[in-house]
Amino acid sequence: MSSSSRRSRSRRAGTSVSSSSSRSISEDQISDLLSKLEALLPDSQARNGAHRGPASRVLQETCSYIRSLHREVDDLSETLAALLASDAVTAEQAAVIRSLLM
Amino acid sequence: MRGPTAKSFKQGFLRSFLVSLKSCRNGDMSLQERKRAVRSSADAAMATARGGGAMWPQALLASSSSSPPTSSSWPRLLPTAAKVKTTRCKSTARRCCRPKRSSSEMIARRLVRKRTKILRGMVPGGELLDGVSLLREAMDYVVHLRAQVAVLRRVSNAMHHMAGAVAPRVQLKGETAQLSDGNQG
Repeated sequence: MSSSSRRSRSRRAGTSVSSSSSRSISEDQISDLLSKLEALLPDSQARNGAHRGPASRVLQETCSYIRSLHREVDDLSETLAALLASDAVTAEQAAVIRSLLM
Repeated sequence: MRGPTAKSFKQGFLRSFLVSLKSCRNGDMSLQERKRAVRSSADAAMATARGGGAMWPQALLASSSSSPPTSSSWPRLLPTAAKVKTTRCKSTARRCCRPKRSSSEMIARRLVRKRTKILRGMVPGGELLDGVSLLREAMDYVVHLRAQVAVLRRVSNAMHHMAGAVAPRVQLKGETAQLSDGNQG
């Protein structure tokens, strides 16, 4: 297989086959995004400008964090459901809450 | 989220959320049913307040309505969903130019692929996204989830205080302080 046929095969492919230059651009992009993502995580050392953790760690901790946020929303929903059930808050009070918080 | 963006999102979220909460006041629901309704209201309000700047709001709204989303209902983002860090050489079969990979590198890549897949499941609409878009969506989603939690907590505290005036104490998770203590907030 000559190199020229390999090149033409690359050109014919509809989507990009990673050449070495485009691979490093998207790896840089990914690295940048991972750093920014890590900075959002709780207890992240990336906030102090330290070198970011490995991609696999950032991904794992992002998943844990999202999971814990979902759990918090769930717990708060349960709390609110209980408060609503007790008929303790009327429609007027809900309007007051809105005006106070906004 | 920057200051003004965060504020307008939280206000939009609060407005939509409180409106849809009215339908959760129905006395016939069990606690679990009502909790699901509240959760659903919160997610719908979050997606609505976020608007069109990301993919996850559409996915979230689509999943809260009963019909399951199909891939045809979203605009195609890329011709193919590329994996994170795809570095395949075309002449792999001949092994003429593929660099030797250490097994630790292969393990790292496998781990990244596996965890990317998990992340896809956690972000609404993530299955349709390529690696780069997924990371961006995850960031946006996390930021708005945090805002959702913050607003829900404030609403819950506000209702808690109001409830204390007229109704028996509601024991909140993790809280043991007296409701009559006026210094909570």
